[in-house]
Amino acid sequence: MEDERSETTQTCGVTRRVVLASGAGAAAASILPLEQRAQAQQQFARAETGQTVQVSANVNGRPVILEIDSRASLLDLLRERRELTGTKKGCDHGQCGACTVHLDGRPVSSCLTLAAKIDGRQVTTIEGLAEGADLHPMQQAFIDNDALQCGYCTPGQIMSAVACVTGGHATSPDAIREFMSGNICRCGAYVGILAAVQQAAKVMEG
Amino acid sequence: MPTQAFSEIARVDARDKVLGRAQYGADVKKPGMLYAMLVPATIAKGKVSALDVAPAMETPGVVQVLGIGDFPALRAEISYRGQPTALVVAETVEAAIEGAEAVTAVYETAPYIPLMTSPGAQRVDAEGFNAGDVDRAFQNAATIVEGIFETPTQHHNAMELFGTVAEWTDGRLTVYEGCQNLDAVKAALMKAFELSLDQIAVKSEQVGGGFGQKSPPKMQTFLVAHAARLIRRPVKLVTPRGQLFHIANYRPRSVHTIRLAASAEGRLQAIIYDVVQENIPDGGFRSTGYHEDIARLYAIENFRATAGDIHIDRQMPRHTRGTHPFPAGFALESVIDEMAYKLGKDPVELRLEHEAKNDIIAGQPLSPHFLNDCLREGASRFGWSRRLPEPGSMRLADGTLVGLGVACGIFGASMSASEATLRVRADGTTRMISSGHEMGQGILTAIANVIIQGLDINPDRLEVLLGDTTLGPQLATVGERGTASCVPTAAKAVEALRARFAELAGANPPAGNLHQQLARLKRPYIEVKVSELAPGQDASAIEAYRTGGRAGTGPDYPGFTSMSYIAQFVEIHIDATTRRIRMPRAVSIADVGRVVSPRTAKSQMYGGVVWGFSTALREESEVDPRFAGYLNDDLADYVMAVNADIGEVDVGLIDKPDPRINSVGVKGMGELVMLGTAPAIANAIYHATGKRLRKLPIRINDVL
Amino acid sequence: MRALSYTVAPSAEAAVARFAAAQGSARYIAGGTNLYDLMKLGIEHPAHLIDVSRIDGMDAIETDGDILRFGGRALMTDVAYTPVVRDQYPVLSESLLKAASQQLRNMATVGGNLLQRTRCMYFRNGAGSTSMVGVYPCNKREPGSGCSAIGGLDRTHAVLGTSEACTAVAPGDWPVALMAMDATIEMLGPEGPRNLPIAEFYRLPGDTPHREFNLHPGELVTAITVRKTPAGRASTYHKIRDRESYAFALASAAVALEMDGATVRTARIALGGVATTPWRSRAAEAIVTGSPLTPELALRAGRAAFADARGGQHNAFKIELGARVIADALIIAAERRA
Ligand SMILES: Cc1cc2nc3c(=O)[nH]c(=O)nc-3n(C[C@H](O)[C@H](O)[C@H](O)COP(=O)(O)OP(=O)(O)OC[C@H]3O[C@@H](n4cnc5c(N)ncnc54)[C@H](O)[C@@H]3O)c2cc1C
Ligand code: SF4
Ligand code: FES
Ligand code: FES
Repeated sequence: MEDERSETTQTCGVTRRVVLASGAGAAAASILPLEQRAQAQQQFARAETGQTVQVSANVNGRPVILEIDSRASLLDLLRERRELTGTKKGCDHGQCGACTVHLDGRPVSSCLTLAAKIDGRQVTTIEGLAEGADLHPMQQAFIDNDALQCGYCTPGQIMSAVACVTGGHATSPDAIREFMSGNICRCGAYVGILAAVQQAAKVMEG
Repeated sequence: MPTQAFSEIARVDARDKVLGRAQYGADVKKPGMLYAMLVPATIAKGKVSALDVAPAMETPGVVQVLGIGDFPALRAEISYRGQPTALVVAETVEAAIEGAEAVTAVYETAPYIPLMTSPGAQRVDAEGFNAGDVDRAFQNAATIVEGIFETPTQHHNAMELFGTVAEWTDGRLTVYEGCQNLDAVKAALMKAFELSLDQIAVKSEQVGGGFGQKSPPKMQTFLVAHAARLIRRPVKLVTPRGQLFHIANYRPRSVHTIRLAASAEGRLQAIIYDVVQENIPDGGFRSTGYHEDIARLYAIENFRATAGDIHIDRQMPRHTRGTHPFPAGFALESVIDEMAYKLGKDPVELRLEHEAKNDIIAGQPLSPHFLNDCLREGASRFGWSRRLPEPGSMRLADGTLVGLGVACGIFGASMSASEATLRVRADGTTRMISSGHEMGQGILTAIANVIIQGLDINPDRLEVLLGDTTLGPQLATVGERGTASCVPTAAKAVEALRARFAELAGANPPAGNLHQQLARLKRPYIEVKVSELAPGQDASAIEAYRTGGRAGTGPDYPGFTSMSYIAQFVEIHIDATTRRIRMPRAVSIADVGRVVSPRTAKSQMYGGVVWGFSTALREESEVDPRFAGYLNDDLADYVMAVNADIGEVDVGLIDKPDPRINSVGVKGMGELVMLGTAPAIANAIYHATGKRLRKLPIRINDVL
Repeated sequence: MRALSYTVAPSAEAAVARFAAAQGSARYIAGGTNLYDLMKLGIEHPAHLIDVSRIDGMDAIETDGDILRFGGRALMTDVAYTPVVRDQYPVLSESLLKAASQQLRNMATVGGNLLQRTRCMYFRNGAGSTSMVGVYPCNKREPGSGCSAIGGLDRTHAVLGTSEACTAVAPGDWPVALMAMDATIEMLGPEGPRNLPIAEFYRLPGDTPHREFNLHPGELVTAITVRKTPAGRASTYHKIRDRESYAFALASAAVALEMDGATVRTARIALGGVATTPWRSRAAEAIVTGSPLTPELALRAGRAAFADARGGQHNAFKIELGARVIADALIIAAERRA
């Protein structure tokens, strides 16, 4: 490979060839000296790998255009290519709900959503829910009912909970429990979550 | 003197959490950061004879591959399936994964023992315990019940994965990861990389659930730190759930043989108890710990315990929420229930009649406790008096079988020496530097409440800091001792600060709150630094706290033993035809001493019922002995409770201080809160069906 | 997962043409809830993904004429909440709403659902980017490698339709309901359009468990149709699982009845969670047809459905459980008669 630079590093008594850059996708950003590289990698101008696709979407009300590895998930787009780490990874296989975001207003599991699929669509994450300094009524209800402990599942819970109310599913405790069952909470905050949805439903439905 | 009751405040970090702003290890992003992925061994035991990392190196985007021999932790000897053999570092997550998948290995396999029931598996006896004259008590017994109880291998499965970010700047290492014992991680990293104290920082601002899994140092931390140093760029690794099952620790399967003797008068006289668990040689989770809490639960004077381990070829088992008293308590609380039936007594009554006053292990009094209050309060809230004693006698109109069950739990109230620094500023802000880890249990809120209740400060501008080794020593947040250790220290800091202020302000303090008063006195701030010990500790405990030694003690202190208690009641419904098991209702009441943060404590109580439910009716890590890996290594096949599983839950706290354990009277609760649920469920299923189930988890096939 | 290309197909015809051009290395992706998952697990390795989830019109849900017609890329959520489906065909609606989670149902399509692959843990786990702890022998994953489930941890495996080569359960709920309702699958392939009754869509494992569907390479499911019937109203999808939600079936039953008072005129009974394909039980139907429905008769019908069942090491309980699920479902469906 042409653009590969090697050097030998001595660490922990082991000598190894360190490949600082390899392959076409990685080359440009990596070949720079360290300090410059850090600058070059400011924000989103980062190396992509694999075959890339261009995605242009609206994320939390802002246009986003980026070239991204076509294998990437929406979750890894948000967390690793944008500063949107509120959305969490709990399983990466659609089995926990921690990664729930809204796609065109509906909750989806971002770990099983190919990033490429958001082209031309609207994504809302937990960071995009509050308006200005005001919390969304559901966020307030989660605080009021202490519907969380470690908070790791919480962004996903809240995104589902909002849809539970806006979709008209907050009709009874059992209906809420069923709708909210796609979000596992290992801390077991389910009782508080039910109460929070009930409280917010009153506010949201006016 | 123990304080008065605390009023409720909102969880102090709730706002950040609902906004998605709370920072967990893997949320950290650094310029130029690379992504890593582990390559696990695909055999249970043996040797890697060849590891081909070349295809990974050729994968576009891959920057570096560490293989066997490149770091001490990457060993050719394989002692469990999933053991890391290589680490691939790349420009993107996708490339790291592709690279990791491209690594191939050739193995020499060795025979292995995957399960405690496998051929060749042998018991190694561990230390036992004896109190009183068990043999005589059994000879004189009028009624004996016995059973063999089994609890399964289970994984903690906190929602947060193991995420590590490591960065080196000018020879200084900073690590970000979810962790319950930062000081242990720090010490291990200092040793591995020969660093001095000022060259290392480990940060764990928020932990997305721990439950015991995040307390030992993780191999991945070293690998990622090593890779970051080698490549001179920050590196992040988020270990996938499937790999976590194989490398993180877990609750070992355990089998409990228990015999309980009662006299003709219906007094519980003696217990013979044996436990055996799966373990690895020199495993850090002792089989000798199982009897220690349950032997203190009731006034049963004669107790003989034996214990053993069966060595298997898997990764190390460790503490898991509820730790020893959960499996042991399942056995004890089931035989107590069975005894109640045999004696024709109400199970609540039988327990009330055996209130323990003495710790038969340490041979000293128990600190006053309120288990019986928990039982009475729970029975009343639950409506226990409506229970018809006969098994199978309660049904709904549609034929659904109804069972009501009760069980108790007990957990040692341990404590650790600790320090805190409290500073109140004239500018309206207050900063408390404490120690430990916020894992959702609410330790930040508890500390904040002590300060808010004790000082006239601006509550909205109070900052409580912990979970960062640059702040000072960070005590291990394990064995539910975090709050019980930090809160008395916070209370002492509050008192010291008030005293200091009184000194400063003299007889005529200016008007206003503390901040305003300081401003008027032209003082930018006042600060106090205090340390607090557990009963019986001397200054050496603070030294141990500062240097990462053993600073913890209890639950037996000089002259008394302190325990936390819980009583739980559940209603179980079993569908007439399909036998689907549901839990529409539960009541849980605990004695955790003084309740410092009522709101977060209540949340723990709710969460404990969910955990208990899930351990009882859902969770089991399944190992196919032919492969020795965890077959159900994901969150769909490892079944945990969801929202629809949980019915109405009512929780209560006695909120009476234990005046002997510390100045606030606070005991722990993090493990306790789940302890009664599983046996209460098994007892309720017996009540509904007449079938005594002695093996967890209980599933639909057990009641068909 | 290897690098791949991704394109969006504007029309069904374009999708089929692109698939043909890729010469076997392409896969259609709809919601991706199964395909992308299997790619992460290292089971599927497409070099080209053709996104069919934006094909114009292929999400239409038509309920006006004599048939219900669901576009192949219609979302599970949208079909489930379509008023006619919800009110007059509870069996269809419930089979969708008791599947997966609300998030996944907002992504997953009713066409993709037909083609999801088994959840057998030996098939799925132990390899791929997320686990990589060793691939278990599995004839579906690697034809000829053997079946680890037989003689292994087979609690969730099938008791009906099994072979010596594979006992994996067909996972979907919706296909079971469609089986009860005699649905038809509409497809478009390189050779043009084709319709197939759902009963002919699924293959028993036999010696070739890796071949699960009677779908030719490149064929696109464009729609699913169900002939309207009064049996839709007195229907239910009853599902028993290891937790109350967000889990695949241990045993399920789709039942639709036409009743004369208390007497069953016609019965349609299909099973899920217990068989290697969505499973119609004519034997159970025969038992209840023409008789007044009692709990005893319902249970007898349930038992008849499992007359040929074969349990393995840990799954024999499904024979009794499955029978009882049918019995319960029959009672629930009968209670819904107009
Ligand atoms: C955690 C979890 C739990 C689940 N629980 C359940 C459950 O309880 N019950 C249940 O039934 N399902 C369940 N599912 C499965 C889910 O319903 C399916 O994954 C989904 O229906 C598949 O639809 P899709 O559009 O996402 O298909 P994709 O994943 O996009 O595709 C699946 C397959 O179908 C092919 N394909 C897709 N569309 C077409 C088309 N129009 N024509 C031809 N081929 C096509 C693809 O090439 C691929 O091979 C669960 C899934 C997950 C991840
Ligand atoms: S049952 Fe089928 S899918 Fe499962 S291991 Fe056997 S062959 Fe593979
Ligand atoms: S991370 Fe997406 S569902 Fe778990
Ligand atoms: S709050 Fe910890 S997982 Fe839900």
